[in-house]
Formats: sequence, structure tokens, C-alpha cells
Amino acid sequence: MSTRKVSLSALLFLVVYVIQEAFVTQLHIGGGGFSLFLIFALLWAALSSPDIGALTGFAAGLLIDLSQSTNGAVGQWTLVLILVGFGISYLGLGYENVRMNPFTITLLVTGSVVVARVIYLVLSLLLGEKVGSFTSILTSLLIGALWSAAIVPILMPVVARAYDFIDDSRHRL
Amino acid sequence: MARGGENRGRLLLIILIITSLFLITLDLRGVSVIGGVKTGTQSALSPVQKVGSTILSPVRNFFSDVFYLGRTQSEMEALREENGKLLTQLRERRSIDAQLEQLQGALDLAGKAEFKVVNARVISQGATTSFTQTITIDAGSDNGIRPNMTVINSYGLIGVVKTVYSGSSLISLISDPSFRIGVRVAGSQQIGILAGQGTRKGVLQLLDNQSTIKVGDILVARGSVNNRPFVPGVPVGEVTSVDNAAGAVTQTADVRFFADFSALSIVSVVLKGPESDPRDTLIPAKPMPTPIPTVTVFVTPSQSPSPNSAGTD
Repeated sequence: MSTRKVSLSALLFLVVYVIQEAFVTQLHIGGGGFSLFLIFALLWAALSSPDIGALTGFAAGLLIDLSQSTNGAVGQWTLVLILVGFGISYLGLGYENVRMNPFTITLLVTGSVVVARVIYLVLSLLLGEKVGSFTSILTSLLIGALWSAAIVPILMPVVARAYDFIDDSRHRL
Repeated sequence: MARGGENRGRLLLIILIITSLFLITLDLRGVSVIGGVKTGTQSALSPVQKVGSTILSPVRNFFSDVFYLGRTQSEMEALREENGKLLTQLRERRSIDAQLEQLQGALDLAGKAEFKVVNARVISQGATTSFTQTITIDAGSDNGIRPNMTVINSYGLIGVVKTVYSGSSLISLISDPSFRIGVRVAGSQQIGILAGQGTRKGVLQLLDNQSTIKVGDILVARGSVNNRPFVPGVPVGEVTSVDNAAGAVTQTADVRFFADFSALSIVSVVLKGPESDPRDTLIPAKPMPTPIPTVTVFVTPSQSPSPNSAGTD
């Protein structure tokens, strides 16, 4: 990994993070909305190798942990996204079709968002935090998944182009 | 070679997981470096969020306006161009008016209760990455805000200050599933615990098994020692249904919060509570029914039959 790749990726992640914190959280979107940054990070991980996926998850998770709207312990999202980032990139690497097919990518990222949130929830429970009723959790997960499924196809071409530009590779999505 | 790469990948994964576990441990043990980094991040992001809030303020109203316009699209089509400029001005005006109305209401409530408050604008709402319900306001420790201060708006209680940064604060809403507050039924001494459910509805559990509650009862905050986290007398919500289960030890009820958490723009943080408990004086007056004017028509029969009715028999 060259310095150029690392610095450009870090800059891009910071820009998306600021957009998420400054703008996306302002919109009164139904059902709790979506996390643009989380979707972006998982899409990025899906296009990467497992090593880079885990590193991407680490960096993205750390940024989410530092967000003022995250109430859990610092490191909780980091741990979740290391695992999910590694997992999503491992799945993507193993099956070429997954990387080529936009529908599969959408499914993979949407599923990963749900899995990440479930792991976070389990960790919260293990750390003794109160997480609310079963119905509210289920609703939140379902609406989050629907939003992710709607956002991923829109975000995917942009992320793929940015990834190609930084990685100097060609992923046809 | 491939095996070497695989092993290196595994090693990296293990190192990253250990690092994250290390971070969690440090944070749970309250190491100040972690808190400092988080505070620094928030201080850096706060000005950007304020800019975002200002820019997106008309857009938030735009979503509801689009919904409204969609219903009367056919009528609006011809006038759209002419009304474009006026609508833009109106959207901006609506946003300002709504903020002004909320500010006025919050100040009225605070003034009536003799609270010393600091007003703040909501610059961020909700957390999609966690299951908690919070808002962020653009006032912090620089404005005298400290953790565990009560947050109100024109309708009543909103929540409690959870984390304070120099220029912003994180507020935990009363609708949060982990939120618990001691409440009193207005006009009586019945007390109970109100728990958030993640929506505008809360669940009240009375503490005394001899107490009874009915639909329409108003709940106010009981207050805490030194007025933190809760100042007394702030309206919280209204009982909408009562659970009269035969086997229950104490009575429970569903409560609708007065505050609409989806439309918060201006809130007030209570810096200093009242000298004495305001009791029930802060409860909003029930709306009076608007009198409908009626018209009574007196008809005096004429002495001679009219020509039209002459041949009807």
C-alpha cells in the first residue's frame, strides 16, 4: 500500500464522515434514517482484500466511536467493523460474482449493515447497556436495512470510481 | 508464499481485534485520553454541524412541503413559476417562525417556573449507529451547561444533558428506552416511574399499590436533589390508557409525552431551578372548545295563504 493510497483513502473517509456528522444527521428522515458513513465503509471493504477490509473497518469504526452521537464505549464499533469489514471483503474476494454483480453487492452490504448493528447490540448487552424493547430494535434494524438497500445502489458507482482511482484497478460493477 | 500472506493477514486481524478490545477496556476504565480525543473530535465538528444546520434548515421543511404540494399538484402546476420565489421566502420564514415559536414557548414555560435557562438550537438528531435516542445542541460548557441538567421546550420535559463539550452538548431524550424518570400525577401525591419506549409513548408504573390512575391524568417531573437531573413540576405527558390487569402488583399506564421529538429545533437547558416547587402551575391549560355560532330562524305565519300553497290540497 503506497502513501498516496493511504492518504487519499483517509481523506475520502474524513470527507464522508464530516458529511455524515454535519448533514445526514440533520435530516429528519423516517425510521431513524441511515448511516451514510457506515454504508460507505462497508462498500469500500467489499471492494478490498480481507486485510484492507479489516483495516478499513478499524479506521471507520474508530471514527464512528469518536462521533458524539455514539453512546457506547470507544472501541465497540471498531471491533464490530473489523470483524464485519474482514467478513464482507472475504466474501467478496472468494466469489468473483459477488464483486461483479451490483445486486449481490447491494445484498451483501445491506446484510452487513444489519449484521454489524446486531453484533453492536450484542456487545452492548454484554457490556451491560440498556438497548430497549425487542419491537423497537426489530423496527430499527428493519428500517435501517431498507434504507441501506436504497442507498447502496446510488452510492455504489461513486465508491467504485473512487476506489478505482485510488487503487488504480478496474472493478466493473 | 500464499500461506505467508494468509498468516500475515490473520496476524493483522488479531492485532486489530486486540487493539479494539484494548480501547474498550481503556474507555470503560475512564482513561481521560480517550475522552479527550472524543471531546476534541466533537469540538472540531461542532462548527461544521452548525453550518450544516443552517444550510439544511429550509430543506427539512421542504420535505413536508413537497408532501403537501403533491396532493394539490394539479392546482399548483399553473401557479408554480409565479409562486416559486414566494415559496422560497415562505419556507425560510416558516423555519424561522417555527424556531421563534418554540423559543417563545420554552421561555414562557421557563419564565412561569422561574427557571434560569440557556436556549440552544438542535444541530443534530438521532444516532443511526446506536439504539439510543439523542440530540445534540449548539450550547455547551462555555454557556454554563453541565451534565445532568434538565432540558425543556415549550411543551415540557425533553431530556437530560448527558455529555457536555465546549460548544455543544449531547442530550438523552426521555423517549430513550433506557430513560427512567420519577413522576407525580398532577393534583395528587401519587408517584411512579416513567420509562421511555423508543417512541413518543412511555410506560408509567405507579409505586404505591393503593394508588389509582385514570386516562387524561397529567404527569409532572418529581424533581431531584439540588434540581439535577430533574427540576420539579415540569410537565411530562398525559395518560392515554391504563392497564388494570388483575394480577399486577401495581398499576401501569401508557403515557403520551407532550413533546414531539421529531420536530425539535429550539430547546432550553435549565441552569438553575426554582426556589420552591412550582407544583402544578406549569401544566398546560386544556384547549377550550371553540363556540359555534348558531342562527335561529323564527317564522311567523301570514294571515292569508300564499298563492303557491293555495292549490296543494
